[in-house]
Amino acid sequence: MKVKVKNWHAIAQWRWDTGTSSDTHDADDEGDVCGICRVPYEGCCPSCKMPGDDCPLIWGECTHIFHMHCLLKWIGTAASKQQCPMDRRPWVTAERKINN
Amino acid sequence: MSTRRLQKELLELKNEGAPAGIQLLKGDDFQSWILSIEVLGESLYKGDKFALEFRFDSQYPIAPPSVTFVVNEQFQAPEHPHVYSNGHICASILANEWSPVLTVSAVCITLQSMLASCKRKERPPDNDRYVARAPADPRRTRWAFHDDDV
Repeated sequence: MKVKVKNWHAIAQWRWDTGTSSDTHDADDEGDVCGICRVPYEGCCPSCKMPGDDCPLIWGECTHIFHMHCLLKWIGTAASKQQCPMDRRPWVTAERKINN
Repeated sequence: MSTRRLQKELLELKNEGAPAGIQLLKGDDFQSWILSIEVLGESLYKGDKFALEFRFDSQYPIAPPSVTFVVNEQFQAPEHPHVYSNGHICASILANEWSPVLTVSAVCITLQSMLASCKRKERPPDNDRYVARAPADPRRTRWAFHDDDV
């Protein structure tokens, strides 16, 4: 039997490398949303239209992760006292962590 | 940002239910919500039901919502050292300790536990003076936070 491929669709999926295993990821896992806007990391912040490199994540040395635009909006206010919204420690942006 | 975040919070309240003792009474727009709040278990407020009004502006959740106890024919503000008779609440998380990761439900739980741990039913010492000249929006009040344990 001979099979002739007439056409095909390539499908790709992407995730930010947040250092958590994709095995533990499920649709309603609260851990995978930005704590500020509550949109998944792979979605974009409410000010953007396209997810991806134009709406990146930002990592804190405290290990907390947000959409960069969401965090900058917060840090830009005097009320934030430049603290991480999660633990109120001074926000220090970490080098993007890439596991192995 | 505010509408989309509030949509998500609303969906969560409706799908998963509000925390114990909390009920959404009005949430049909993204300007103002009303939630009832009861303290479960033994407390000075056993059997009492209060209502909280949340007002949101476009800055939410970067800026806190304006949160007050409803005072009308049906509801009264709880008698509590941090709650003024006009419904204004002196709570740091609604002012200088606000964080954008807080939610309507988290605020309700905090206020619920503030009531639960209350040891004496009384108004703040400056109640009359404050109420006489309070701004409509408590976020414009400059609060002094005296203690963490009431």
